[in-house]
Amino acid sequence: MFRARWYKVFNDLFGNKTRTLLIVLSMSVGLFALGIILSARTILSEGLAESFAAITPSSGTVRTIELFDEDFIQSIRSMKDVQEADARRNISARVQTASGEWKNITIFVVADYDDIRVNKVASQSGPWPPPEREVLIERAALSVIEAQVGDVVLVKFPNDVERKIRIAGTAYDPAQLPAQIDGTPYGYITFDTLNWFGESYGFNELHVLATHPEDKAWAQQVVNRVKDKAEKSGYTIPLSMTAEPGQLPMNDVLQGILLLMGMLGILSLFLSIFLVVNTVSALLTQQQRQIGVMKAVGGSTLQILGMYLVMVLAYGVLALLIAIPFGVVGARGLSNALAGFFNFDIYSMDLPPQTFLIQIAIGLVLPVLASLVPFLSSLRISAAEAMSSYSIGRGRFGKNWIDQLLSGANIWFMRNLSIRSILLSVRNTFRNKGRLTLTLITLTLGSATFISVFNVRDSLSHTVDDMIKWFNCDIMLTFDRTYLADKVEFSALTVPGVTQTDVWIQLPTRLIRSDDSESGMIYMFAPTVHPESLIVSPTIAEGRWLMPDDDNAVVVPSAFLQDEPELHLGGDIVLKLDGKEHTFKIVGTYVGMAILPLVYTNYEYITQITNRIGEADALMVKMERHDPAYVDAATRALEDHFEQIGVRVSMVSTINNERTEAEASFDAIVALLLVMAILLALVGGLGLMGTMSINVLERTREIGVLRAIGAPNRGVASVFILEGIVIGLMSWAMGAVLAIPISQGLNQALGQAVMGVPLSYSYSIQGLWTWLVVVILLSVLASFIPARNASRLTVREVLAYE
Amino acid sequence: MNSSTANPLIELRSVVKVYNSTADSVTALNGIDLQIFPGEFLVVTGKSGSGKTTLVNMVTGLDRSTSGEIWVDSEPLHKFGSERAAKLRGRTMGVVFQSFELLPTLTVLQNVMLPMDFAGRASRSEQRKRAMNLLEQVDIADHAKKLPTALSGGQQQRLSIARAMANNPAILVADEPTGSLDSATANAVVDIFKKLAQEGKTIFLVTHDKDIAKRGSRMITLSDGQIVG
Ligand SMILES: Nc1ncnc2c1ncn2[C@@H]1O[C@H](COP(=O)(O)OP(=O)(O)OP(=O)(O)O)[C@@H](O)[C@H]1O
Ligand SMILES: [Mg+2]
Repeated sequence: MFRARWYKVFNDLFGNKTRTLLIVLSMSVGLFALGIILSARTILSEGLAESFAAITPSSGTVRTIELFDEDFIQSIRSMKDVQEADARRNISARVQTASGEWKNITIFVVADYDDIRVNKVASQSGPWPPPEREVLIERAALSVIEAQVGDVVLVKFPNDVERKIRIAGTAYDPAQLPAQIDGTPYGYITFDTLNWFGESYGFNELHVLATHPEDKAWAQQVVNRVKDKAEKSGYTIPLSMTAEPGQLPMNDVLQGILLLMGMLGILSLFLSIFLVVNTVSALLTQQQRQIGVMKAVGGSTLQILGMYLVMVLAYGVLALLIAIPFGVVGARGLSNALAGFFNFDIYSMDLPPQTFLIQIAIGLVLPVLASLVPFLSSLRISAAEAMSSYSIGRGRFGKNWIDQLLSGANIWFMRNLSIRSILLSVRNTFRNKGRLTLTLITLTLGSATFISVFNVRDSLSHTVDDMIKWFNCDIMLTFDRTYLADKVEFSALTVPGVTQTDVWIQLPTRLIRSDDSESGMIYMFAPTVHPESLIVSPTIAEGRWLMPDDDNAVVVPSAFLQDEPELHLGGDIVLKLDGKEHTFKIVGTYVGMAILPLVYTNYEYITQITNRIGEADALMVKMERHDPAYVDAATRALEDHFEQIGVRVSMVSTINNERTEAEASFDAIVALLLVMAILLALVGGLGLMGTMSINVLERTREIGVLRAIGAPNRGVASVFILEGIVIGLMSWAMGAVLAIPISQGLNQALGQAVMGVPLSYSYSIQGLWTWLVVVILLSVLASFIPARNASRLTVREVLAYE
Repeated sequence: MNSSTANPLIELRSVVKVYNSTADSVTALNGIDLQIFPGEFLVVTGKSGSGKTTLVNMVTGLDRSTSGEIWVDSEPLHKFGSERAAKLRGRTMGVVFQSFELLPTLTVLQNVMLPMDFAGRASRSEQRKRAMNLLEQVDIADHAKKLPTALSGGQQQRLSIARAMANNPAILVADEPTGSLDSATANAVVDIFKKLAQEGKTIFLVTHDKDIAKRGSRMITLSDGQIVG
């Protein structure tokens, strides 16, 4: 048998199931969201590091034009500072998709699939190694070529050999950029199959692992030494690059996502803190009278406090029992989805204990602290006051400006409205100012976060627009070598629908640092700069865009200056073109990613210093109409036309495709943001529902009085529903304002992580209205259910209700 | 009992209570001097708003006086904070309210046991026995397992008397215990107080019912916060 007081605690907990459920739910949604975000963050960042370490990632890659053999690999392996090296053949082929479209595909040929030493590729499904005259496709690439395992696809090699080849299975190669992100699928075949395509044996891509791979500068030196050795052995090196130590190709974007999740985690931390505090203080307000009675019959503050602490702890435990398991499931689901998108495996779904600790701290310690506050303040009022009806009316609706404003006489639109209930609700809402403040803070935070998530999504697509905008053309054609600019431009203009053309030249270049080390490959784009150019300035982060009479001016991506500390705006940059070093001046930086560095210089100047005057290897075409179908048809016509006149087109892209691809690379972030938005809507919405329902429950007695004095049931319910809407609208309006700084912060952080500059800020009207609808619906629902329940009770039951 | 020679159990000296609200201040008690002796059945009457409830709050220590002295069982209640007041109340006084103020989530029996639990004096089985005893005294032992809301008004008031008796206090203070009861039920409740007074309890009962007022051993009348007779 327990002491009498514990029966009260127990009966309060389980006697009023609706209230317990509401309190527990309000507390657990916040804890749940927090759990998901914190755990998923850890699972992902650990999974990323582990799965990358598992493939023995290379420190750098060196490509050759001429093929090399095993002896050369051996000689690289025996170099002093090379820990390990391996090689493969890399072939840029074309594949025909089910819809008949030709797409680029990178085919890798590996000598021994069971002994890949660097950048390991693993079997995912089907046979291993790839069977003869069959291909394995990277697991993330099947959707890109619109095919399934077992399908037969047509593949065309650069030597024009076409073969129908069966997809035998899938491989897993996390070292590559996920196919759906850059649109390039990967296939894996054996040398026998290569032979069948009419190609000879030999490698053209070396993967090198330096002795201290974690030291980027050292790794770069080693890769440079390998490159020198290859050059001395007579190989031409078109490309050599050093990887960021221990990072997957999409690391920047993923880090951005993790950062975003961290920030949302902090926001939901605050949200759940407020939810918990709000719920607990609502409960204690409700119990104020009973606390007074217990004092009157001799209960000491400590004894009574003990009872409520146990009660609050019980709510906390129940909330944690819901929040922790659901949080675990949610975190695993989210981690899996993101890992799938970024194409890496998660080896361990082990959850970080600190997540649980934080959840427990918030779920148990915080409610205790939260209940201490009203207790300490209840020490200040006497037991008589706690029980007296005076205290309910006293000091709550008085003479301050809000009350004055709400007295009705001042609200112009209410003067002619005889809807008394509106007034009554608004007054009710403001009666308990402390609680109202807490409720509003909680809901405002939820609203602001939801709207911010939409804003970030909008800002992302805005940023893509800004990045694409400077291509003032519809089609870009890249040729296999340089041709006379006039010739390609004139013949393009003969194709119907073409209204304007422009050319540029693109050259591989390399940055030479002051210590004579070289950077990885950089693309130099040299567009024409004059008023009719089809290239307009990209979004300039700092400095300026090229001008017609610029000579050695260069514009670099903003992320570039962060990666290369020697460089700065207005300073010099030494670039190696065709083996010769040239000094350029950095006149500006543009908003751009560091994944593929492009630098811009003036066409006239570059063609001069490289002896290519009047030549171009890329053509831009502007069409009459810009819809995808029309542009695609024109693209095929242009390709045919150039084939007839003997100009070989190596790559075609339309702006429509570029945009889709750029957006695709943000897709993961957008998808994640949507998941977060839904999660936050859930938290904010349930919080809203919980808080309001508790508000209504708290006033069940008042409902009885309203009905006792003759208010119809409908009238009673509508008072509370209106009150709910008033609270909802206020939190919506305040959230809309608070969303501005929050989304700016998120844009700043996300943009810095992904591209080195903040995203182009944009406020999402869609998010604003969506949340408005959600808020109104939830407010109605949240206040309707308890209000209806209350108005169904008989008046006697309600008046006896505590 | 010779009330003139014994020490007063409760003594009030020039007690003043002023309520200050934002709008104005109300002097609810204006210089009350009162002595209550052991075994007395004191009835306080007066019209609505005359300060009866305020006086109850002063005597029980449920609220603090603005000035003056309140001595209960030779202890200076006016100097006590709410904690010590609660202790003193738990030991010496049982309070009965007009609107019963029962705890709705505890059974009838548990409501009576709660003050014993807070006082922490008897073992749990003794508490239970004593509580059942008290319920028998007020004739509601049959309803021990019910929740208070299932009782009639008269039964609820008997329960609240039983609860006030829980720690066997020397003093019982009741603020309009019959206010929400019909006259027959009210009389039965007053009978209980009468019986308790005969058993030696000191009773402080507030009422504005003339008939009930006559049943006490002494009567005082309040008007505008002052004793007028
Ligand atoms: N908490 C309070 N705040 C402000 N004024 C109060 C408070 N409690 C009582 N009063 C005022 O003090 C005066 C005395 O009130 P009290 O409740 O003691 O009267 P009462 O004699 O018990 O009346 P009733 O017979 O109606 O119960 C009244 O004028 C009342 O308005
Ligand atoms: Mg009164």
